[in-house]
Amino acid sequence: MTFGSTGKILRVDLTHGSVGIEEFDEELYRLYPGGKALAAYLVLRNIAPGSDPLGPANVLVLANGLLTGAPLSTATRFTAAARSPLTGGYGESEAGGFWGPELKLAGFEAIVILGRAEQPAYLWVHDGHAEIREAWHLWGREPEEAQSLIRQELGDKLVRVLQIGAGGENMVRYAALINDLRHFNGRTGMGAVMGSKNLKAVAVRGTGRYVDLAHDPQMITEFGRQLAKRVKEHPQSWDLQVKGTPGLVSGLNAGGILPTRNFHQGAFEGADKLGWEAYEKELLIARRSCYACAVRCKREVAVNDRYQVSSAYGGPEYEAIGGFGPNCGIDDLQAVAKANELCGRYTLDTISTSASIAFAMECFEHRLIGLKATGGIELRFGNAEAMLKMVDMIAYRQGLGNLLAEGVRRAADVIGGEARDFAMHVKGEELAMHDPRGKAGVGLGYAIAETGADHLVAYHDTMLQNPASITFKGAVPLGITEALPARELSGKKAAQYALLESWSSLGKVIGFCYFGPAPRSFIQVDEVVSAVKAATGWDVTVEELVRVGERATNLARVFNIREGFSRKDDMLPDRLFTPLENGALAGTALSRDEFEQTMTELYRIKGWDPTTGAPTVERLRALGIEWAAGMLGSH
Amino acid sequence: MRLHLGGHLSWYDPQKRSWLELPLSQPVALIELVRQLELPVEEIAISAVNGHAVSLEEVRVSDGDRVELYPPIGGGGGLCHRAVRHKSNP
Repeated sequence: MTFGSTGKILRVDLTHGSVGIEEFDEELYRLYPGGKALAAYLVLRNIAPGSDPLGPANVLVLANGLLTGAPLSTATRFTAAARSPLTGGYGESEAGGFWGPELKLAGFEAIVILGRAEQPAYLWVHDGHAEIREAWHLWGREPEEAQSLIRQELGDKLVRVLQIGAGGENMVRYAALINDLRHFNGRTGMGAVMGSKNLKAVAVRGTGRYVDLAHDPQMITEFGRQLAKRVKEHPQSWDLQVKGTPGLVSGLNAGGILPTRNFHQGAFEGADKLGWEAYEKELLIARRSCYACAVRCKREVAVNDRYQVSSAYGGPEYEAIGGFGPNCGIDDLQAVAKANELCGRYTLDTISTSASIAFAMECFEHRLIGLKATGGIELRFGNAEAMLKMVDMIAYRQGLGNLLAEGVRRAADVIGGEARDFAMHVKGEELAMHDPRGKAGVGLGYAIAETGADHLVAYHDTMLQNPASITFKGAVPLGITEALPARELSGKKAAQYALLESWSSLGKVIGFCYFGPAPRSFIQVDEVVSAVKAATGWDVTVEELVRVGERATNLARVFNIREGFSRKDDMLPDRLFTPLENGALAGTALSRDEFEQTMTELYRIKGWDPTTGAPTVERLRALGIEWAAGMLGSH
Repeated sequence: MRLHLGGHLSWYDPQKRSWLELPLSQPVALIELVRQLELPVEEIAISAVNGHAVSLEEVRVSDGDRVELYPPIGGGGGLCHRAVRHKSNP
């Protein structure tokens, strides 16, 4: 008897217009229990080597976390995965909201979407059934309108809609997916993949009950009540509710690691205008939640002042504030909120969009692109109007926007010369708004992550500097024993990073938000284990769960190796090895020698070949995925 | 002086404030002030006075100063030594 899972995967072939249901057994479930692990397994099994990311041979997988749909705060997330049109490697991004839980209650753990519809289509999934429907009337419409039309058509206001806007339809290489108009699978271009398939939306409605699936529903329900009560009693979850991620701006600025003007600087003179207090005053109208989550860290905003900002698409998180604010040299919070709203409207990743604009601003200031290329726009750091115009041009691929829609790596190759030095990316994915010069472990993550420069690939090493801190104590049950300075690069740091990476990966397998489990927030390591036991009935340990996280990462790594990636792709932009120009860490840079030595040690710890970066057969065998070694080719 | 409690440090203030107005008749060691306010020293990763990073253990603050304290999540690390050098070699 399987608990905690419906055991069903929906398989949709858009080319042939067919849908089918596959069942998976307990053995598969325990190896790949959901989210990132299930998605990586399905991507590796279903996508043929060398498939065009924007062609019909790419496969889009939407996979729920193991606990997604359980009435537990922060267990809301699902994974979207495919071959990334931005990097050419394994693409993946998680989103919270309500769509994942609804899919679970509709009876499915995952959806595998193959082929390409001949004309615009959307998928309607409800209580164990699915059908492909015509979507000419939805194509070209903004998400708010499309969601309303779909709900009207299906006669149910509670239908949850995952969809794309103009960015996805126009295959901007970093287009996102949006659900409920305010939750995003932001990174690696999953929206472009959906657009390439002529698929506008996946609408879902389920009337099942999670407790009917769980091994110990009473424990799950009681644990959910405890977590809801704990939110205000725990400093970290309280902080997320009251200040939210905008609360990061002032601390990062004081610490000298607030990415500013395309990562030249670490402190921004206008940071006070962009913090959470300014946010409350100028933007905030309400706090919102994801499914069953008592943290309520999401923001609803509205502005009717210098800019008109609709409340429909949710408020900017730290990444959008950092990206459109300091990293573009802009101190106008309303302009930042407008850019964030446009990214919602067009379904664009706020990180890659803002980073592409910051890159273009630097190119303009160095006269690598001129007014002719920008269409007369003075694309300088600090020009908010120019920044907003570029978001429009990217979404609709107009003028310079058509080039920036390709991402900074491709854009730099076209512009040539110094532009390559200005392109802040790893594997083609633009850097998130965290500077490894102040937290070196984030640099290891940017470099080694299968998806590119992602900030959620591991827990940040700033949390583990003081052995008496809440965050350090929260990580001790993982086997972390020694506090290390955030800027240290060493064998010890590599070992610590490897654990934090596998634990973060497990969060994506289970469906927990990054702000759920320790060390980042209020759910303790042993409680995560207990919740998995209660859901599944398995007698699991934290070691087994960490291994599940590691297994998922290795599957994604195998995908990249199969597509021709190697250690040479695990490189950081040169700028991070040059000193920060201002702020508390002025003069500080990563040491290239220390970085490379630490990376070599990290490959060894991970059981990966330090020359090729490929997992060894021994490690794959130890992780129970020896079959994947057959996909490594000559490596 | 004005004291900013960044991130979750506000949680430890009985009134959950982010900004505290503290009149000081004479300069005082910041670490003493932190202890008097019963703030958890182990949760403070970054300290800044008037926009400059400082060492929590060594700096003294005066009336009129703007003092900011942040927990580790919001900021970088290992700032203290450099900040001390910065203060002595402006």
